[in-house]
Amino acid sequence: MNWKDFRLSFSLLVLCRLLLAVTPYVDSLELDHDHQLSSPTNSYVRLQEGIFLYKHDVDPYSGGAFYHSPLYLSLFTTVLPTSRFLCRLVWTLVDALGAWALVGIWRERQTLESSSRDTLIAAAYLFNPYLFLPNLALSTASFENMLQLLALLFACKGRASPALFFASILLHLSLHSVLLLPPFILLLLSSPHSHLVNPKVFIAYRNPKASLSTALSYIGEFLVYSAIMSLCCTTVAGGWGWVEKTWGVVLTLPDLTPNPGLWWYFFTEMFDHFRPFFLMVFSVHLLMYVAPICLKFQHDPLFASFALLGVLGMFKPYLTLADPGLFLSMYALFPETYPYLYHPLVTTLLHLHAALLLPLFHSLWLDQGTGNANFFYASTLVFGMANGAAMVDAIWAGLRIAVGGRQGEDEGEIAVVQE
Amino acid sequence: MRLFTWTTTAYFYITFCLSLLTTTFASDGATSQEAAQDFFSRHAGPENGSNHTNNWAVLVCSSRYWFNYRHMANALGMYRTVKRLGIPDSNIILMLADDVACNTRNKFPGTVFSNQGRHLDLYGENIEVDYRGYEVTVENFIRVLTGRMDASVPRSKRLLTDDRSNIFVYMTGHGGNEFLKFQDNEEISAFDIADAFEQMWQKKRYNEIFFMVDTCQANTMFSKIYSPNVLATGSSELGENSYSYENDADVGVAVIDTFTHYNLEFMEGINKTSQLTMQDLFNTYSFEKIKSTPGVHSDLFTRPLDRTLITDFFGGVARAELIDENAIVEHTSGPTTDVDEAELARSEDIPLPDILADTKNSATSGRRSSSPGLMKQLRAWCPVAVIGVLATWIVMSR
Repeated sequence: MNWKDFRLSFSLLVLCRLLLAVTPYVDSLELDHDHQLSSPTNSYVRLQEGIFLYKHDVDPYSGGAFYHSPLYLSLFTTVLPTSRFLCRLVWTLVDALGAWALVGIWRERQTLESSSRDTLIAAAYLFNPYLFLPNLALSTASFENMLQLLALLFACKGRASPALFFASILLHLSLHSVLLLPPFILLLLSSPHSHLVNPKVFIAYRNPKASLSTALSYIGEFLVYSAIMSLCCTTVAGGWGWVEKTWGVVLTLPDLTPNPGLWWYFFTEMFDHFRPFFLMVFSVHLLMYVAPICLKFQHDPLFASFALLGVLGMFKPYLTLADPGLFLSMYALFPETYPYLYHPLVTTLLHLHAALLLPLFHSLWLDQGTGNANFFYASTLVFGMANGAAMVDAIWAGLRIAVGGRQGEDEGEIAVVQE
Repeated sequence: MRLFTWTTTAYFYITFCLSLLTTTFASDGATSQEAAQDFFSRHAGPENGSNHTNNWAVLVCSSRYWFNYRHMANALGMYRTVKRLGIPDSNIILMLADDVACNTRNKFPGTVFSNQGRHLDLYGENIEVDYRGYEVTVENFIRVLTGRMDASVPRSKRLLTDDRSNIFVYMTGHGGNEFLKFQDNEEISAFDIADAFEQMWQKKRYNEIFFMVDTCQANTMFSKIYSPNVLATGSSELGENSYSYENDADVGVAVIDTFTHYNLEFMEGINKTSQLTMQDLFNTYSFEKIKSTPGVHSDLFTRPLDRTLITDFFGGVARAELIDENAIVEHTSGPTTDVDEAELARSEDIPLPDILADTKNSATSGRRSSSPGLMKQLRAWCPVAVIGVLATWIVMSR
């Protein structure tokens, strides 16, 4: 297969997505009000409200409805359109860029210019329902995923500045992406190649003379970019109120709109005097996965970032389907682990179960009124279990592959380059 | 690759300059007061158009006990009509003794009917009675009208009108020469009502009031009103009784009064978009039908009755227009504003809501110039420009 073929198939996939985006049936579904597909920090409706307020000289952060970063305000009042139709096209192109970045990551991992799996990987991103449904709902999680993948792509290529730049923009859109900074730095210093079969202590392949100061310089560059972006945000928003309303929102959880995540129900029934304590517990819970995963997968930092994305996709405060969707699509990058998965069927069935239950119980609770919040909460627990099963299985396979000995190892369509 | 980055940077700068140019020449809108007056006059003619922006209703049944079933049905019938024509529950104050629907003597419990044959249940599942039982007193009624209430009274029990509210006040029960009996216990006099309306006028609590009374000798109740913009109608003259319309054999009592019955019958024929006027309604009154002489008091009402729509009082009809998005709102702080005060002398001191007057985010404070727009454009372009610059710099310096 030569390079031209992937371009053709990729264009076809993007065309299919564009056609899907412009069908009138999608309009009638009113996806942008769906709670599974967008959360208060991602929702297109709230973005529109914030842009309207901003255009009419009202501080969008003075009310309680707008939690997006000021970068969105700036983007949508200048270069990007706000009409629904054009936004659908823009969002589809964002997803296309994310898919292209995912294919680029795969190619970097295999050090190939092109491979036969490229189309499959692009399709795994573009046609993953967990990703294209929030995209059709115009949730800004698509932007976050695209930036995440672009940053990972440049990190895989070893180009620190673009990677850290995109990571710093992503920091402003989603605070929890800072948890991915450690595996990022490791990825910048070492290689994206598959080292899962051969776990060793961390070796800085790209820069053998690298030391702690190199890592610190990367962190410093990231902080400089973040500071510049913060100043830009302050210029747009006309003050520092945006910090409390964008980053503060994911730490203090003022808005308890139902979403497929695990935080909202817990905090609806929380007594006020326990609230700060449990907010701290939930946030530290996310922090505590970083070190163990990075230590355990220090030989393959791309896999470490994949695992951390799985953690984020389960335990983020304002979860949408797009976050575990990114994790599941990135699974396509690690076909060497497939023979070592312990319970892939169980994971698939759990996901199917959750995907059916979530909209059903949401509708029973909020549309028909015959159910209550506990129904939907139970379905979010099932969804959490499904994500947990996927994550645990991925980590299990990532470790088990080092022991080896499974039958299907060398019988795949394409031999995965492993070192 | 270099060509690509240079073209993207060029694209950013060109669009930036173009948007700067277009916003420099953006036009400004009229002052807000002129725009409001223009809106009102455009829709209904210069002298005859209604100036109201919201509708309220105060519906009072001043009787209790089973044999006054028809008064309850009167009030509930008016309630249903007024809701059907568009006034929401939040804008209706319904005062009923409410002891009829669940009365032990009611053969059809939980229902109130207003016609023989029981075709329409007025009680239903969706009525909101604000003052029920022993809360229906003269004091509460006057407090509702004048707005002088204890701070603990909830909003649903308050008449939260402003000077552009049209209010429909309906009273039914037992009455006499310049009085109305409240709950078999006390009386309200025509002077009390007239004084209450005058207090409302002084406090700018209404734009126009339509006062309808269905009791014996009802026309005496509005004879003492002296405040402007009040249109009143009553069911019978001094010395006349008002009669009930029909009995229902199974309920066992009279279910509706004639005056209210014919008013409701007229209302059933109209909907929210009706252009029928108050004159059309009053033309349907006749002694032969109503068995008493209905009266209309329009001396204090400034608009001609044949230009006053029924929906001005009975409906919650609002006209809306999309204003020009680029119009800059002036805030009226300070004495040197250029508002047309002669036209709108009554409403010159309406404070703009804080959210629109808060201009601390714009570079200047509401003066009509294009520099706030320019500053805002520059601020909005800042991150995009910075991202563009950083991206090109990063890409160029591999």
